[in-house]
Amino acid sequence: MATMSEKPANVFGPTLSRRQFIKAGGVLVVGFSFVGPELLKADTAKSGTLKNTLDPTLPSSWIEIHPDNTVLIRTGKSDFGQGSTFTAYRQIVAEELSVPFEAITTVVAGDTDRTPDGSGAFDFLGHGTPNIRKAAAYTHQALLDLASERLGVSKDKLSVKDGIVSGGGKTVSYGDLVKNQQLKLTIPVKGDLTSIFGLTIEGNPPMKPVGEYTVIGKSFKNSIISSKVAAKETWATDVRLPGMLHARVVHPKTLGSTLVSAGSVDKSKFPNSQVVVKGNLVGVVAPTEWEAIQAADQVATATKWTEWKGLPGNAKLYQHLREEVDWTSAPVEKSKLSKGDPGPVLASAGKKLSATYQLSYMKHAPIGPTMAVADVKPDGMVHIHTHNQNPQALRGEIAMMLGTSIDHVVVHSYPGPGHYGRSNGGNAGAEDEAVLLSQAVGKPVRVQWMRADDMQWSTQAAAAFSDVQIAVDDKSKMAAYQIDHYMPAMQDDRPIGAIIAGLPTMPAPQVKSDSVTSTVNGIEDPWVYAPVPNVMERGHGTFQVGQKASPLAVGLRDHSMRTPGQFQQNYPRELAMSEAASLAGADAIQFRIDHASEERAIGVLKAVRDASAWDTRPSPRPDAISTGTRPVRGRGVSLMLRSGTYWACVCQIAVTPDTGMIAVEKYTVAVDPGIVVNPVQLKRNVAGGAVMGIGHALFEEVMFDESGIKQDDWISYPIPTMKDIPEIEVVLLHNPKVGAYGGGSEAANALAAPAIAAALHDATGKIMRRLPMKPAYVQAVLKA
Amino acid sequence: MVTLNVNGVRHEVQAPDDVPLLYVLRNDLQLIGPQFGCGLAQCGACSVLVEGKEVRSCITPAASVAGQEITTLEGLPARWAKQKGLSADQARNTLHPVQQAWIEEQTPQCGFCQNGMMIKATELLESNPQPTLAQIKEAFTTSGVSPNLCRCGTYAAIIEAVQHAATIMAKGR
Repeated sequence: MATMSEKPANVFGPTLSRRQFIKAGGVLVVGFSFVGPELLKADTAKSGTLKNTLDPTLPSSWIEIHPDNTVLIRTGKSDFGQGSTFTAYRQIVAEELSVPFEAITTVVAGDTDRTPDGSGAFDFLGHGTPNIRKAAAYTHQALLDLASERLGVSKDKLSVKDGIVSGGGKTVSYGDLVKNQQLKLTIPVKGDLTSIFGLTIEGNPPMKPVGEYTVIGKSFKNSIISSKVAAKETWATDVRLPGMLHARVVHPKTLGSTLVSAGSVDKSKFPNSQVVVKGNLVGVVAPTEWEAIQAADQVATATKWTEWKGLPGNAKLYQHLREEVDWTSAPVEKSKLSKGDPGPVLASAGKKLSATYQLSYMKHAPIGPTMAVADVKPDGMVHIHTHNQNPQALRGEIAMMLGTSIDHVVVHSYPGPGHYGRSNGGNAGAEDEAVLLSQAVGKPVRVQWMRADDMQWSTQAAAAFSDVQIAVDDKSKMAAYQIDHYMPAMQDDRPIGAIIAGLPTMPAPQVKSDSVTSTVNGIEDPWVYAPVPNVMERGHGTFQVGQKASPLAVGLRDHSMRTPGQFQQNYPRELAMSEAASLAGADAIQFRIDHASEERAIGVLKAVRDASAWDTRPSPRPDAISTGTRPVRGRGVSLMLRSGTYWACVCQIAVTPDTGMIAVEKYTVAVDPGIVVNPVQLKRNVAGGAVMGIGHALFEEVMFDESGIKQDDWISYPIPTMKDIPEIEVVLLHNPKVGAYGGGSEAANALAAPAIAAALHDATGKIMRRLPMKPAYVQAVLKA
Repeated sequence: MVTLNVNGVRHEVQAPDDVPLLYVLRNDLQLIGPQFGCGLAQCGACSVLVEGKEVRSCITPAASVAGQEITTLEGLPARWAKQKGLSADQARNTLHPVQQAWIEEQTPQCGFCQNGMMIKATELLESNPQPTLAQIKEAFTTSGVSPNLCRCGTYAAIIEAVQHAATIMAKGR
């Protein structure tokens, strides 16, 4: 065994401890301790967390330095196709440690028993300083301290290149510094492991100056792409445990139905199947997948439910939201950038825009329906194998459902279909159901949702409407801007199976909530037109539609989706800005530039104007026409600040007035994220977002009646196909003086809708203030 | 008992007559390239090649393709090696040009649909080695029983990868 030689050292606050002279190997691992008032909370409420993560023998560190100069990194964030954990995270760590990209040989992501920090698969770059950057920076300082001691050279005289520390004419590698030792660096964190945001590293370790970067900025390839393309990756869908049974769930008839009687299996056809009932949850379990599918279909026809008609139905949605919903239960949120007094200016305005904008419910619509394998052991340990954006939060939800502690729940994370935010609060749909069925039958159970389950029983992006008023003065400047955003609670993190089964969950969205599940509608779209003298932005929130009426407390459950909340607020703002430009007789890009002061906002607007060969003039175009069978063309623009990144988008469209068909011909976007970490990966993320945004803009709309969602497949809920895509041009503006990395996998989807709507106005002279812009809706607007 | 010829290997499978090929491939033969996306032949995630034609394995009864030549994503390298007459050693260390191009172009995001995209690309390039942009779009939208769907929106990257694969195949490497 190792001889103990405890010698803690202080590394910018964190401490480095060591056990020297182990016989072989050696390692430096980075663990953590809690700081601040959260310590007490974490110690009591989350005792399992501390026990699990403060023990240096457990492999939960962020970073390990090995004697062979290789590096392992761990993150609680699972990959959902952004690729950041395999590219940007490696690059960031390599940069802060001054090691080659290739030295980081292993990335462990998501598993709750093997990763330290939790949080969801979103905001990977953490507004420029993700946990992994700070962990690497602290580790770098600890390695310099070790090298200083080893070489007898003061720390400030040392330099590092490719993992070799040099100073005073001497050198030592990182590997040699850790050889035959067990070193543990303890760094400070705060937060709640199983909350949506997980743990955050505290303190301010020195970071490498941006001017010295050699790894960040290069397009390293995403290692997991190779294994997926070669069919060598184990996906969540591939997990098969010994003795595992297949299951399908018979979901209630409506979003408010309770169980009258569960059907029984026709044993003559399905001799090996069994029905499991827990509250209103009906599951069918069988040894083979095909039998489970067929038996579930048969049981579904024999199962009886109560009727329920508590939703307004699609056709009456906006009338319901405007006239029947109580918007007074949640306090009105006012943006911090509101200023002046728009009221009197609007009242006396010579030119005034006064309009309402509506945005439908939309589905995340992952290309594979949600699934999970659960194994509830006789000793109470629960193992879940799944694809989830926030495994630690799922762990907490499952523990709550079962009335056990998080020590008893392990979530194993695998690749799977993108969720676009749907599971960032911890569950996507099947995980809890798999646990309940496994518990009931005493064997591992795999629950696979079918396409219809995924369309009808998952959450959706919240519908919204906004009232806008803008005053334009006689100098063609905006004198006042007022916007009131109305949106039901946009994040319901309750696991659906637990709700249906009547088991404990977190509360349904309510006013007072300590997480993102509040009914309060915060201002998510940062105001970027600072020179406007009078600004009022207000958010009005309420409960989810049907949430209170449904006997299941379900209704239309909402969940954040790519650019959550901000999409619902940026669409009305940016379309209204284009309309205000028309009112002022100004060009839509120049009008925005004239009302912006931030250099980066102006920079992306000018870049997108150049790249799209924008013809500067007011909209609509002089020969705009809203009738006829010949396509007419137009262009529109949109602007957004999100997660430290400035975005400007131009869409050029062709619309055929008589059919209402819109084709987007070109989508140009300029992106200033500050430092561009990996140009190719960023471009791929942005281009994908652009395509999704065209679906949001043109045809995605949740259709529901008084009982539930009517769509059950890709015909009834269409998404973009290859023939729908325009020419896409992504202009990256590398802006190192910002000194931080902005996010890149959101925003592009949200920018399409206001730009396309403005382009429709440019082409036809008619304005459409409703999403999606389906042909029938467009036809109606053009004929009006 | 159904006899399936998958990736050049004969398999005797105990399966009901109506079981779709997808479940036999994934659960009985551990061939995990094809994915379950909809079970309705509406997305293409489950695609395989049957006698060189793209088929949706989620609705195709395994018994209906008994004895026919089935190729899954796992079998693409060997398919290419056979077409090019590569040695066994060469074949072991190669990927199909479509797979190579998918990696070089960094095409997938989540990657769940990309099995079907690569199967469709292989079908296309075997019959049309130098497709135009319009022909690529037609292949991925109207040539099959449904468009091949990608929710991450990687279509532009797929087009670039198909064009890149065509270049690799023309060089014959």
